[in-house]
Amino acid sequence: MTEAKKEKFIVPIGPQHPALKEPGNFEFTVDGEIVTDATVRLGFVHRGIEKACETRNYTQDMYLLERVCGICSHVHATAFVLGVEKLAGVQAPPRAEAIRVLAAELERIHSHLLWFGVAAHEAGFDTLFMYTWRDREVVMDILETLSGSRVHYSVNILGGVKIDIDQKLSDLIKKDMDFLEERTEHYMKVVTTDETFLGRTRGIGTLSRDRAKLLGAVGPTARASGVKRDVRVNAPYSGYKEFPVKMVIDQTGDLEARFVVRLKELYESYRLIREILEKIQPGEISTRIKRKIPEGEVISRVEAPRGELFYFIKSNGTEMPDRVKVRTPSLCNWGTITDVAVGHKLADMPMLLAGIDPCFSCNDRMVEIRSDSQPSQMMNWDGLRKYGIEYYK
Amino acid sequence: MLKGLFTTLKIALEKPVTTQYPEQRRPVHTRFKGRHTLKRYENGLEKCIGCALCAAACPADAIFVEASENTDEERYSPGERYASTYEINMLRCIFCGFCEDSCPTEAIVLGDQYEMSFGDRHSSIYTKELLLEPVSGDAETTPQKTKPGEFTRSVPVMQDPQD
Ligand code: SF4
Ligand code: SF4
Repeated sequence: MTEAKKEKFIVPIGPQHPALKEPGNFEFTVDGEIVTDATVRLGFVHRGIEKACETRNYTQDMYLLERVCGICSHVHATAFVLGVEKLAGVQAPPRAEAIRVLAAELERIHSHLLWFGVAAHEAGFDTLFMYTWRDREVVMDILETLSGSRVHYSVNILGGVKIDIDQKLSDLIKKDMDFLEERTEHYMKVVTTDETFLGRTRGIGTLSRDRAKLLGAVGPTARASGVKRDVRVNAPYSGYKEFPVKMVIDQTGDLEARFVVRLKELYESYRLIREILEKIQPGEISTRIKRKIPEGEVISRVEAPRGELFYFIKSNGTEMPDRVKVRTPSLCNWGTITDVAVGHKLADMPMLLAGIDPCFSCNDRMVEIRSDSQPSQMMNWDGLRKYGIEYYK
Repeated sequence: MLKGLFTTLKIALEKPVTTQYPEQRRPVHTRFKGRHTLKRYENGLEKCIGCALCAAACPADAIFVEASENTDEERYSPGERYASTYEINMLRCIFCGFCEDSCPTEAIVLGDQYEMSFGDRHSSIYTKELLLEPVSGDAETTPQKTKPGEFTRSVPVMQDPQD
Protein backbone atom coordinates (compact mmCIF):
# COMPACT_ATOMS: atom_id res chain seq x y z
CA MET A 1 0.00 0.00 0.00
CA THR A 2 2.68 2.47 1.01
CA GLU A 3 4.73 1.37 -1.95
CA ALA A 4 1.87 2.06 -4.28
CA LYS A 5 1.36 5.45 -2.70
CA LYS A 6 4.96 6.40 -3.39
CA GLU A 7 4.36 5.75 -7.04
CA LYS A 8 1.80 8.51 -7.14
CA PHE A 9 2.92 11.83 -8.52
CA ILE A 10 0.99 15.03 -8.27
CA VAL A 11 1.54 17.35 -11.19
CA PRO A 12 0.38 20.89 -10.51
CA ILE A 13 -0.06 23.03 -13.59
CA GLY A 14 -0.36 26.76 -13.28
CA PRO A 15 -1.37 29.14 -11.86
CA GLN A 16 0.94 31.43 -13.79
CA HIS A 17 -0.48 32.03 -17.18
CA PRO A 18 -0.74 35.75 -17.56
CA ALA A 19 -2.47 35.60 -20.91
CA LEU A 20 -5.33 33.48 -19.71
CA LYS A 21 -8.40 35.31 -18.58
CA GLU A 22 -9.07 32.90 -15.78
CA PRO A 23 -5.81 31.50 -14.52
CA GLY A 24 -6.37 28.16 -12.93
CA ASN A 25 -4.13 25.83 -11.06
CA PHE A 26 -4.58 22.19 -11.98
CA GLU A 27 -3.18 19.36 -9.98
CA PHE A 28 -3.00 16.09 -11.78
CA THR A 29 -2.23 13.02 -9.74
CA VAL A 30 -0.46 10.58 -11.98
CA ASP A 31 0.23 6.91 -11.73
CA GLY A 32 3.08 6.45 -14.13
CA GLU A 33 1.73 8.11 -17.21
CA ILE A 34 -1.96 7.79 -16.48
CA VAL A 35 -3.79 10.61 -14.72
CA THR A 36 -5.80 9.27 -11.79
CA ASP A 37 -7.16 12.44 -10.28
CA ALA A 38 -7.47 16.08 -11.19
CA THR A 39 -8.43 19.20 -9.26
CA VAL A 40 -8.72 22.82 -10.24
CA ARG A 41 -8.10 26.01 -8.27
CA LEU A 42 -9.29 29.38 -9.49
CA GLY A 43 -9.16 33.01 -8.53
CA PHE A 44 -5.59 34.01 -9.14
CA VAL A 45 -6.25 37.08 -11.17
CA HIS A 46 -9.01 38.88 -9.42
CA ARG A 47 -9.22 42.34 -10.88
CA GLY A 48 -12.26 43.58 -9.04
CA ILE A 49 -14.10 44.60 -12.18
CA GLU A 50 -17.49 43.77 -10.71
CA LYS A 51 -16.83 46.00 -7.73
CA ALA A 52 -15.42 48.76 -9.91
CA CYS A 53 -18.68 48.75 -11.83
CA GLU A 54 -20.53 49.88 -8.74
CA THR A 55 -18.66 53.16 -8.68
CA ARG A 56 -19.17 54.08 -12.32
CA ASN A 57 -22.22 54.92 -14.33
CA TYR A 58 -23.82 52.52 -16.78
CA THR A 59 -22.10 53.82 -19.90
CA GLN A 60 -18.70 53.70 -18.28
CA ASP A 61 -19.40 50.21 -17.02
CA MET A 62 -20.06 49.05 -20.52
CA TYR A 63 -16.57 50.06 -21.60
CA LEU A 64 -15.12 48.55 -18.48
CA LEU A 65 -16.94 45.23 -18.79
CA GLU A 66 -15.93 44.99 -22.40
CA ARG A 67 -12.45 44.57 -20.99
CA VAL A 68 -13.22 41.51 -18.93
CA CYS A 69 -11.87 39.41 -21.75
CA GLY A 70 -9.53 40.28 -24.55
CA ILE A 71 -10.99 37.84 -27.03
CA CYS A 72 -14.73 37.92 -26.55
CA SER A 73 -15.07 41.56 -25.64
CA HIS A 74 -18.14 42.38 -27.70
CA VAL A 75 -20.33 39.74 -26.10
CA HIS A 76 -19.61 41.11 -22.64
CA ALA A 77 -20.73 44.57 -23.68
CA THR A 78 -23.75 43.11 -25.45
CA ALA A 79 -24.82 41.09 -22.43
CA PHE A 80 -24.55 44.13 -20.21
CA VAL A 81 -26.24 46.49 -22.63
CA LEU A 82 -29.12 44.09 -23.26
CA GLY A 83 -29.65 43.77 -19.53
CA VAL A 84 -29.63 47.52 -18.96
CA GLU A 85 -31.96 48.09 -21.90
CA LYS A 86 -34.37 45.56 -20.47
CA LEU A 87 -34.29 47.35 -17.12
CA ALA A 88 -34.87 50.71 -18.75
CA GLY A 89 -37.61 49.35 -20.98
CA VAL A 90 -35.82 50.50 -24.11
CA GLN A 91 -35.60 48.52 -27.31
CA ALA A 92 -32.68 49.13 -29.62
CA PRO A 93 -33.68 49.69 -33.26
CA PRO A 94 -33.59 46.61 -35.54
CA ARG A 95 -30.62 47.88 -37.51
CA ALA A 96 -28.64 48.25 -34.29
CA GLU A 97 -29.55 44.71 -33.25
CA ALA A 98 -28.40 43.40 -36.60
CA ILE A 99 -25.08 45.21 -36.33
CA ARG A 100 -24.63 43.77 -32.85
CA VAL A 101 -25.09 40.28 -34.22
CA LEU A 102 -22.75 41.05 -37.09
CA ALA A 103 -20.01 42.12 -34.69
CA ALA A 104 -20.70 39.13 -32.45
CA GLU A 105 -20.36 36.68 -35.33
CA LEU A 106 -17.19 38.34 -36.61
CA GLU A 107 -15.86 38.02 -33.12
CA ARG A 108 -16.83 34.36 -33.03
CA ILE A 109 -14.88 33.76 -36.24
CA HIS A 110 -11.84 35.50 -34.84
CA SER A 111 -12.09 33.63 -31.55
CA HIS A 112 -12.56 30.20 -33.11
CA LEU A 113 -9.70 30.72 -35.55
CA LEU A 114 -7.49 31.87 -32.72
CA TRP A 115 -8.41 28.83 -30.68
CA PHE A 116 -7.88 26.52 -33.63
CA GLY A 117 -4.37 27.88 -34.12
CA VAL A 118 -3.50 27.56 -30.46
CA ALA A 119 -4.85 24.03 -30.27
CA ALA A 120 -2.80 23.10 -33.33
CA HIS A 121 0.23 24.60 -31.64
CA GLU A 122 -0.38 22.50 -28.54
CA ALA A 123 -0.50 19.45 -30.75
CA GLY A 124 2.86 20.39 -32.21
CA PHE A 125 1.33 21.24 -35.58
CA ASP A 126 2.86 24.68 -35.94
CA THR A 127 2.29 24.99 -39.66
CA LEU A 128 -1.44 24.87 -39.11
CA PHE A 129 -1.05 27.40 -36.33
CA MET A 130 0.67 29.84 -38.71
CA TYR A 131 -1.98 29.32 -41.37
CA THR A 132 -4.96 29.88 -39.10
CA TRP A 133 -3.45 32.97 -37.58
CA ARG A 134 -2.72 34.35 -40.99
CA ASP A 135 -6.36 33.86 -41.94
CA ARG A 136 -7.48 35.27 -38.65
CA GLU A 137 -5.75 38.49 -39.64
CA VAL A 138 -8.41 38.88 -42.34
CA VAL A 139 -11.23 38.98 -39.83
CA MET A 140 -9.22 41.19 -37.46
CA ASP A 141 -8.84 43.60 -40.32
CA ILE A 142 -12.58 43.65 -40.93
CA LEU A 143 -13.15 44.35 -37.26
CA GLU A 144 -10.70 47.22 -37.36
CA THR A 145 -12.35 48.72 -40.43
CA LEU A 146 -15.73 48.30 -38.80
CA SER A 147 -15.04 49.58 -35.33
CA GLY A 148 -11.62 51.15 -35.18
CA SER A 149 -10.07 48.62 -32.84
CA ARG A 150 -8.71 45.17 -33.31
CA VAL A 151 -9.57 43.95 -29.86
CA HIS A 152 -12.04 46.04 -27.89
CA TYR A 153 -14.47 47.12 -30.53
CA SER A 154 -16.77 49.38 -28.49
CA VAL A 155 -19.54 48.77 -30.99
CA ASN A 156 -22.33 49.04 -28.45
CA ILE A 157 -23.77 52.01 -26.69
CA LEU A 158 -26.72 51.94 -24.36
CA GLY A 159 -29.74 51.89 -26.64
CA GLY A 160 -28.03 50.93 -29.87
CA VAL A 161 -24.69 50.84 -31.59
CA LYS A 162 -22.05 53.42 -32.33
CA ILE A 163 -21.04 52.41 -35.82
CA ASP A 164 -22.86 51.90 -39.07
CA ILE A 165 -22.05 49.86 -42.13
CA ASP A 166 -22.20 51.07 -45.69
CA GLN A 167 -22.14 49.34 -49.06
CA LYS A 168 -18.36 49.50 -49.40
CA LEU A 169 -17.79 47.86 -46.06
CA SER A 170 -20.39 45.22 -46.70
CA ASP A 171 -18.80 44.30 -50.03
CA LEU A 172 -15.45 44.01 -48.33
CA ILE A 173 -16.84 41.75 -45.63
CA LYS A 174 -18.58 39.53 -48.18
CA LYS A 175 -15.40 39.12 -50.17
CA ASP A 176 -13.45 38.19 -47.07
CA MET A 177 -16.12 35.73 -45.98
CA ASP A 178 -15.71 33.87 -49.27
CA PHE A 179 -11.98 33.64 -48.70
CA LEU A 180 -12.41 32.43 -45.12
CA GLU A 181 -15.00 29.86 -46.12
CA GLU A 182 -12.58 28.37 -48.60
CA ARG A 183 -9.88 28.22 -45.96
CA THR A 184 -12.19 26.63 -43.40
CA GLU A 185 -13.02 23.97 -45.96
CA HIS A 186 -9.32 23.17 -46.02
CA TYR A 187 -9.03 23.07 -42.23
CA MET A 188 -12.00 20.79 -42.00
CA LYS A 189 -10.20 18.38 -44.27
CA VAL A 190 -7.05 18.55 -42.16
CA VAL A 191 -8.91 18.02 -38.90
CA THR A 192 -10.88 15.02 -40.12
CA THR A 193 -8.27 13.26 -42.26
CA ASP A 194 -4.77 14.11 -41.07
CA GLU A 195 -3.30 11.02 -39.37
CA THR A 196 -1.02 12.82 -36.92
CA PHE A 197 -3.73 15.17 -35.86
CA LEU A 198 -6.32 12.44 -35.45
CA GLY A 199 -3.87 10.54 -33.27
CA ARG A 200 -4.06 13.41 -30.80
CA THR A 201 -7.78 14.00 -31.00
CA ARG A 202 -9.86 11.00 -32.03
CA GLY A 203 -11.32 9.13 -29.10
CA ILE A 204 -9.49 11.27 -26.57
CA GLY A 205 -11.21 13.12 -23.78
CA THR A 206 -14.62 11.68 -24.51
CA LEU A 207 -17.27 13.44 -22.48
CA SER A 208 -20.58 11.64 -22.50
CA ARG A 209 -23.81 13.51 -22.95
CA ASP A 210 -24.96 12.85 -19.39
CA ARG A 211 -21.67 13.90 -17.85
CA ALA A 212 -21.64 17.07 -19.92
CA LYS A 213 -25.14 17.88 -18.72
CA LEU A 214 -24.31 17.06 -15.15
CA LEU A 215 -21.13 19.14 -15.11
CA GLY A 216 -22.92 22.05 -16.71
CA ALA A 217 -20.71 22.25 -19.74
CA VAL A 218 -21.54 25.10 -22.10
CA GLY A 219 -20.80 26.21 -25.60
CA PRO A 220 -18.98 24.10 -28.18
CA THR A 221 -17.72 21.75 -25.46
CA ALA A 222 -21.29 20.82 -24.57
CA ARG A 223 -22.48 20.76 -28.15
CA ALA A 224 -19.68 18.38 -29.10
CA SER A 225 -21.14 15.98 -26.55
CA GLY A 226 -24.61 16.21 -27.99
CA VAL A 227 -26.09 18.62 -25.45
CA LYS A 228 -28.46 21.04 -27.13
CA ARG A 229 -27.22 24.16 -25.40
CA ASP A 230 -26.91 27.38 -27.37
CA VAL A 231 -28.46 30.59 -26.10
CA ARG A 232 -28.72 31.89 -29.64
CA VAL A 233 -31.17 29.09 -30.39
CA ASN A 234 -32.70 28.28 -27.00
CA ALA A 235 -33.48 31.86 -26.04
CA PRO A 236 -32.81 34.12 -29.02
CA TYR A 237 -31.72 37.59 -27.97
CA SER A 238 -31.02 40.79 -29.85
CA GLY A 239 -30.82 40.26 -33.61
CA TYR A 240 -30.87 36.48 -33.41
CA LYS A 241 -34.67 36.59 -33.39
CA GLU A 242 -34.59 38.04 -36.84
CA PHE A 243 -31.57 36.12 -38.05
CA PRO A 244 -31.80 32.64 -36.56
CA VAL A 245 -28.81 30.31 -36.39
CA LYS A 246 -28.70 26.57 -36.70
CA MET A 247 -27.29 24.69 -33.75
CA VAL A 248 -24.23 22.60 -34.54
CA ILE A 249 -24.30 19.32 -32.65
CA ASP A 250 -22.00 16.34 -32.56
CA GLN A 251 -22.68 13.16 -30.63
CA THR A 252 -19.14 11.82 -30.28
CA GLY A 253 -17.94 14.04 -27.47
CA ASP A 254 -14.23 13.54 -28.03
CA LEU A 255 -11.61 16.14 -28.90
CA GLU A 256 -12.15 15.65 -32.60
CA ALA A 257 -15.82 16.47 -32.17
CA ARG A 258 -14.88 19.72 -30.43
CA PHE A 259 -12.76 20.67 -33.41
CA VAL A 260 -15.47 19.74 -35.86
CA VAL A 261 -18.20 21.60 -33.97
CA ARG A 262 -16.18 24.78 -33.83
CA LEU A 263 -15.28 24.61 -37.49
CA LYS A 264 -18.88 23.95 -38.45
CA GLU A 265 -19.89 26.92 -36.37
CA LEU A 266 -17.59 28.99 -38.52
CA TYR A 267 -19.65 28.05 -41.59
CA GLU A 268 -22.76 29.03 -39.73
CA SER A 269 -21.21 32.40 -38.88
CA TYR A 270 -20.21 33.04 -42.49
CA ARG A 271 -23.72 32.24 -43.62
CA LEU A 272 -25.27 34.47 -40.96
CA ILE A 273 -22.98 37.40 -41.75
CA ARG A 274 -23.87 37.18 -45.43
CA GLU A 275 -27.54 37.01 -44.58
CA ILE A 276 -27.31 40.07 -42.34
CA LEU A 277 -25.47 42.05 -44.98
CA GLU A 278 -28.11 41.09 -47.55
CA LYS A 279 -31.15 41.74 -45.45
CA ILE A 280 -30.19 44.56 -43.14
CA GLN A 281 -32.81 47.30 -43.17
CA PRO A 282 -31.87 50.96 -43.25
CA GLY A 283 -32.88 52.92 -40.21
CA GLU A 284 -31.82 54.43 -36.95
CA ILE A 285 -28.91 52.86 -35.13
CA SER A 286 -29.62 54.10 -31.63
CA THR A 287 -32.35 55.36 -29.37
CA ARG A 288 -32.16 57.60 -26.37
CA ILE A 289 -31.87 56.11 -22.95
CA LYS A 290 -32.07 57.89 -19.63
CA ARG A 291 -29.00 58.16 -17.46
CA LYS A 292 -30.88 56.90 -14.45
CA ILE A 293 -31.97 53.30 -14.80
CA PRO A 294 -35.18 52.30 -12.97
CA GLU A 295 -34.89 50.08 -9.94
CA GLY A 296 -34.91 46.37 -10.58
CA GLU A 297 -32.95 43.22 -11.22
CA VAL A 298 -32.26 41.58 -14.51
CA ILE A 299 -30.59 38.52 -15.91
CA SER A 300 -29.06 38.64 -19.33
CA ARG A 301 -27.64 35.68 -21.22
CA VAL A 302 -25.74 35.66 -24.48
CA GLU A 303 -23.76 33.05 -26.35
CA ALA A 304 -20.07 33.89 -26.29
CA PRO A 305 -17.68 31.98 -28.57
CA ARG A 306 -16.90 29.73 -25.61
CA GLY A 307 -20.42 29.24 -24.38
CA GLU A 308 -23.10 30.88 -22.39
CA LEU A 309 -22.23 34.19 -20.79
CA PHE A 310 -24.38 35.25 -17.91
CA TYR A 311 -24.93 38.71 -16.45
CA PHE A 312 -26.88 39.72 -13.42
CA ILE A 313 -27.49 43.43 -12.97
CA LYS A 314 -29.21 45.04 -10.01
CA SER A 315 -30.19 48.65 -10.25
CA ASN A 316 -31.19 50.91 -7.37
CA GLY A 317 -32.62 53.67 -9.49
CA THR A 318 -29.48 55.78 -9.69
CA GLU A 319 -26.89 56.30 -12.40
CA MET A 320 -24.76 53.47 -11.09
CA PRO A 321 -25.63 49.80 -10.76
CA ASP A 322 -25.96 48.30 -7.32
CA ARG A 323 -24.43 45.02 -8.30
CA VAL A 324 -23.11 43.44 -11.47
CA LYS A 325 -22.33 39.76 -11.52
CA VAL A 326 -20.53 38.15 -14.42
CA ARG A 327 -20.24 34.43 -15.02
CA THR A 328 -17.99 33.59 -17.90
CA PRO A 329 -18.31 30.40 -19.96
CA SER A 330 -14.76 29.15 -19.39
CA LEU A 331 -15.58 28.79 -15.72
CA CYS A 332 -18.31 26.25 -16.47
CA ASN A 333 -16.04 24.22 -18.64
CA TRP A 334 -13.15 23.85 -16.18
CA GLY A 335 -15.18 21.18 -14.43
CA THR A 336 -15.25 19.01 -17.52
CA ILE A 337 -11.45 18.93 -17.59
CA THR A 338 -11.14 17.50 -14.12
CA ASP A 339 -13.69 14.90 -15.12
CA VAL A 340 -12.35 13.75 -18.48
CA ALA A 341 -8.70 13.97 -17.46
CA VAL A 342 -8.98 10.87 -15.31
CA GLY A 343 -7.69 7.82 -17.15
CA HIS A 344 -5.83 9.81 -19.77
CA LYS A 345 -2.13 10.16 -20.28
CA LEU A 346 -0.24 13.17 -18.99
CA ALA A 347 0.77 13.80 -22.57
CA ASP A 348 -2.87 14.36 -23.49
CA MET A 349 -3.35 17.12 -20.97
CA PRO A 350 -2.25 20.07 -23.12
CA MET A 351 -4.71 19.07 -25.82
CA LEU A 352 -7.50 18.43 -23.36
CA LEU A 353 -7.01 21.82 -21.78
CA ALA A 354 -6.82 23.50 -25.15
CA GLY A 355 -9.93 21.60 -26.17
CA ILE A 356 -12.23 23.68 -24.00
CA ASP A 357 -10.70 26.87 -25.37
CA PRO A 358 -9.62 28.57 -22.19
CA CYS A 359 -7.83 31.41 -24.05
CA PHE A 360 -4.67 29.42 -24.18
CA SER A 361 -2.11 31.78 -25.53
CA CYS A 362 0.58 31.54 -22.95
CA ASN A 363 3.40 29.10 -22.71
CA ASP A 364 5.28 30.02 -19.60
CA ARG A 365 3.34 28.12 -17.02
CA MET A 366 5.11 26.08 -14.43
CA VAL A 367 4.46 22.42 -13.89
CA GLU A 368 5.67 20.78 -10.73
CA ILE A 369 5.98 17.04 -10.45
CA ARG A 370 5.84 16.03 -6.83
CA SER A 371 6.27 12.69 -5.17
CA ASP A 372 6.83 11.47 -1.68
CA SER A 373 10.21 10.01 -2.32
CA GLN A 374 11.67 12.44 -4.81
CA PRO A 375 12.30 16.16 -4.58
CA SER A 376 9.96 18.26 -6.68
CA GLN A 377 10.56 18.30 -10.36
CA MET A 378 9.70 21.47 -12.15
CA MET A 379 8.31 21.45 -15.65
CA ASN A 380 7.06 24.52 -17.42
CA TRP A 381 4.13 24.61 -19.79
CA ASP A 382 6.41 24.53 -22.78
CA GLY A 383 8.06 21.45 -21.37
CA LEU A 384 4.74 19.74 -20.90
CA ARG A 385 3.76 20.61 -24.46
CA LYS A 386 7.01 19.17 -25.79
CA TYR A 387 6.51 16.12 -23.62
CA GLY A 388 3.16 15.56 -25.27
CA ILE A 389 4.54 16.03 -28.76
CA GLU A 390 7.49 13.74 -28.13
CA TYR A 391 5.22 11.13 -26.66
CA TYR A 392 3.12 10.95 -29.79
CA LYS A 393 6.02 10.94 -32.24
CA MET B 1 5.54 13.34 -51.50
CA LEU B 2 5.58 15.17 -54.80
CA LYS B 3 2.29 16.77 -53.85
CA GLY B 4 3.81 17.96 -50.59
CA LEU B 5 6.81 19.41 -52.34
CA PHE B 6 4.54 21.12 -54.81
CA THR B 7 2.68 22.81 -51.96
CA THR B 8 5.97 23.96 -50.46
CA LEU B 9 7.04 25.39 -53.78
CA LYS B 10 3.72 27.11 -54.32
CA ILE B 11 3.79 28.75 -50.89
CA ALA B 12 7.43 29.74 -51.31
CA LEU B 13 6.53 31.74 -54.39
CA GLU B 14 3.68 33.57 -52.68
CA LYS B 15 4.02 37.05 -51.32
CA PRO B 16 4.94 37.08 -47.60
CA VAL B 17 2.02 37.94 -45.36
CA THR B 18 4.14 39.56 -42.69
CA THR B 19 5.29 43.18 -42.67
CA GLN B 20 8.78 44.19 -41.64
CA TYR B 21 7.43 46.38 -38.91
CA PRO B 22 9.71 49.30 -38.11
CA GLU B 23 10.58 49.81 -41.79
CA GLN B 24 7.19 48.97 -43.24
CA ARG B 25 4.05 50.19 -41.58
CA ARG B 26 0.59 48.91 -42.05
CA PRO B 27 -1.77 51.83 -42.63
CA VAL B 28 -4.54 52.06 -40.07
CA HIS B 29 -8.19 52.34 -40.96
CA THR B 30 -10.15 55.56 -40.76
CA ARG B 31 -12.02 54.52 -37.65
CA PHE B 32 -8.85 53.52 -35.82
CA LYS B 33 -8.64 54.64 -32.22
CA GLY B 34 -5.11 55.70 -31.49
CA ARG B 35 -3.48 58.48 -29.51
CA HIS B 36 -5.59 61.55 -28.82
CA THR B 37 -5.15 64.93 -30.47
CA LEU B 38 -6.60 68.20 -29.31
CA LYS B 39 -7.92 70.00 -32.36
CA ARG B 40 -7.87 73.64 -33.34
CA TYR B 41 -10.14 75.78 -35.46
CA GLU B 42 -8.83 77.12 -38.73
CA ASN B 43 -8.11 80.47 -37.13
CA GLY B 44 -5.79 78.80 -34.66
CA LEU B 45 -8.03 78.90 -31.61
CA GLU B 46 -8.27 75.72 -29.58
CA LYS B 47 -11.51 73.80 -29.80
CA CYS B 48 -11.32 72.62 -26.21
CA ILE B 49 -13.27 74.84 -23.84
CA GLY B 50 -12.19 73.12 -20.66
CA CYS B 51 -15.65 71.84 -19.77
CA ALA B 52 -14.19 68.58 -18.40
CA LEU B 53 -17.05 66.53 -19.80
CA CYS B 54 -14.50 64.13 -21.22
CA ALA B 55 -12.88 63.73 -17.82
CA ALA B 56 -16.26 62.97 -16.28
CA ALA B 57 -17.12 60.49 -19.01
CA CYS B 58 -13.83 58.63 -19.09
CA PRO B 59 -14.36 55.13 -17.68
CA ALA B 60 -10.73 54.83 -16.70
CA ASP B 61 -10.34 58.26 -15.07
CA ALA B 62 -7.45 58.95 -17.41
CA ILE B 63 -8.16 62.62 -18.15
CA PHE B 64 -7.45 65.59 -15.95
CA VAL B 65 -8.72 69.01 -17.04
CA GLU B 66 -8.35 72.34 -15.32
CA ALA B 67 -10.08 75.35 -16.81
CA SER B 68 -9.18 79.03 -16.70
CA GLU B 69 -10.90 82.17 -17.93
CA ASN B 70 -10.32 83.51 -21.41
CA THR B 71 -9.88 87.23 -21.87
CA ASP B 72 -9.89 89.14 -25.12
CA GLU B 73 -6.23 90.00 -24.60
CA GLU B 74 -5.27 86.37 -24.08
CA ARG B 75 -7.69 84.18 -25.91
CA TYR B 76 -7.10 80.43 -26.22
CA SER B 77 -10.53 79.25 -27.26
CA PRO B 78 -13.92 80.72 -28.12
CA GLY B 79 -16.21 81.43 -25.19
CA GLU B 80 -15.43 82.06 -21.57
CA ARG B 81 -13.06 79.33 -20.61
CA TYR B 82 -10.22 77.23 -21.92
CA ALA B 83 -8.27 74.27 -20.60
CA SER B 84 -5.16 75.56 -18.90
CA THR B 85 -4.15 72.05 -17.91
CA TYR B 86 -5.07 69.06 -19.99
CA GLU B 87 -3.46 65.75 -19.18
CA ILE B 88 -4.15 62.22 -20.31
CA ASN B 89 -2.52 59.33 -18.56
CA MET B 90 -1.80 56.95 -21.40
CA LEU B 91 -1.23 54.07 -19.01
CA ARG B 92 -4.76 54.40 -17.69
CA CYS B 93 -6.43 55.11 -21.00
CA ILE B 94 -8.21 52.13 -22.52
CA PHE B 95 -8.75 53.79 -25.92
CA CYS B 96 -12.48 53.39 -25.81
CA GLY B 97 -13.14 56.68 -27.55
CA PHE B 98 -15.82 57.76 -25.11
CA CYS B 99 -14.08 61.11 -24.58
CA GLU B 100 -14.44 61.75 -28.29
CA ASP B 101 -18.15 60.99 -28.10
CA SER B 102 -18.74 63.16 -25.09
CA CYS B 103 -16.92 66.30 -26.20
CA PRO B 104 -19.38 69.05 -27.15
CA THR B 105 -16.94 70.80 -29.47
CA GLU B 106 -15.22 67.77 -31.03
CA ALA B 107 -11.99 69.04 -29.56
CA ILE B 108 -10.57 65.68 -28.61
CA VAL B 109 -10.17 63.13 -31.37
CA LEU B 110 -8.53 59.73 -31.29
CA GLY B 111 -6.00 59.74 -34.09
CA ASP B 112 -4.02 57.15 -35.94
CA GLN B 113 -0.87 57.13 -33.81
CA TYR B 114 -0.24 53.87 -32.06
CA GLU B 115 3.42 54.08 -31.20
CA MET B 116 3.51 55.08 -27.60
CA SER B 117 6.20 53.83 -25.31
CA PHE B 118 7.71 55.43 -22.29
CA GLY B 119 10.72 54.78 -20.16
CA ASP B 120 9.01 55.64 -16.90
CA ARG B 121 5.56 56.12 -15.54
CA HIS B 122 5.82 59.85 -15.35
CA SER B 123 6.27 60.26 -19.07
CA SER B 124 3.08 58.31 -19.70
CA ILE B 125 1.17 61.44 -18.77
CA TYR B 126 0.69 63.38 -21.98
CA THR B 127 0.37 67.08 -21.37
CA LYS B 128 -1.53 69.64 -23.38
CA GLU B 129 1.61 70.66 -25.28
CA LEU B 130 2.00 67.11 -26.57
CA LEU B 131 -1.65 66.58 -27.38
CA LEU B 132 -2.45 69.89 -29.04
CA GLU B 133 -2.06 69.85 -32.79
CA PRO B 134 0.06 72.54 -34.41
CA VAL B 135 -1.68 75.52 -36.00
CA SER B 136 -2.58 75.05 -39.63
CA GLY B 137 -1.34 77.39 -42.36
CA ASP B 138 -0.54 80.93 -41.35
CA ALA B 139 -2.95 81.07 -38.43
CA GLU B 140 -1.72 82.60 -35.23
CA THR B 141 -0.99 80.35 -32.27
CA THR B 142 -2.71 80.73 -28.92
CA PRO B 143 -3.03 82.93 -26.89
CA GLN B 144 -4.39 85.39 -29.44
CA LYS B 145 -5.51 88.95 -29.03
CA THR B 146 -9.03 89.26 -30.33
CA LYS B 147 -11.70 91.92 -30.72
CA PRO B 148 -14.19 92.01 -27.84
CA GLY B 149 -17.48 90.32 -28.58
CA GLU B 150 -16.20 88.22 -31.46
CA PHE B 151 -15.91 84.84 -29.78
CA THR B 152 -18.69 84.65 -27.26
CA ARG B 153 -20.11 81.33 -28.31
CA SER B 154 -18.19 78.36 -27.05
CA VAL B 155 -19.96 75.51 -28.80
CA PRO B 156 -20.08 75.88 -32.58
CA VAL B 157 -22.79 74.66 -34.92
CA MET B 158 -21.85 71.17 -36.05
CA GLN B 159 -22.90 68.35 -38.31
CA ASP B 160 -23.10 64.69 -37.41
CA PRO B 161 -19.73 62.98 -37.74
CA GLN B 162 -19.38 60.74 -40.77
CA ASP B 163 -16.65 58.29 -39.89
S1 SF4 C 1 -10.24 56.95 -24.88
FE1 SF4 C 1 -11.54 56.29 -23.16
S2 SF4 C 1 -10.11 55.80 -21.53
FE2 SF4 C 1 -8.95 56.99 -23.02
S3 SF4 C 1 -9.09 59.08 -22.28
FE3 SF4 C 1 -10.79 58.79 -23.73
S4 SF4 C 1 -12.53 58.19 -22.46
FE4 SF4 C 1 -10.68 57.92 -21.22
S1 SF4 D 1 -11.83 68.04 -24.75
FE1 SF4 D 1 -13.99 68.49 -25.07
S2 SF4 D 1 -15.03 67.53 -23.34
FE2 SF4 D 1 -12.87 67.63 -22.80
S3 SF4 D 1 -12.68 69.54 -21.67
FE3 SF4 D 1 -12.21 70.00 -23.80
S4 SF4 D 1 -14.16 70.68 -24.68
FE4 SF4 D 1 -14.65 69.62 -22.74
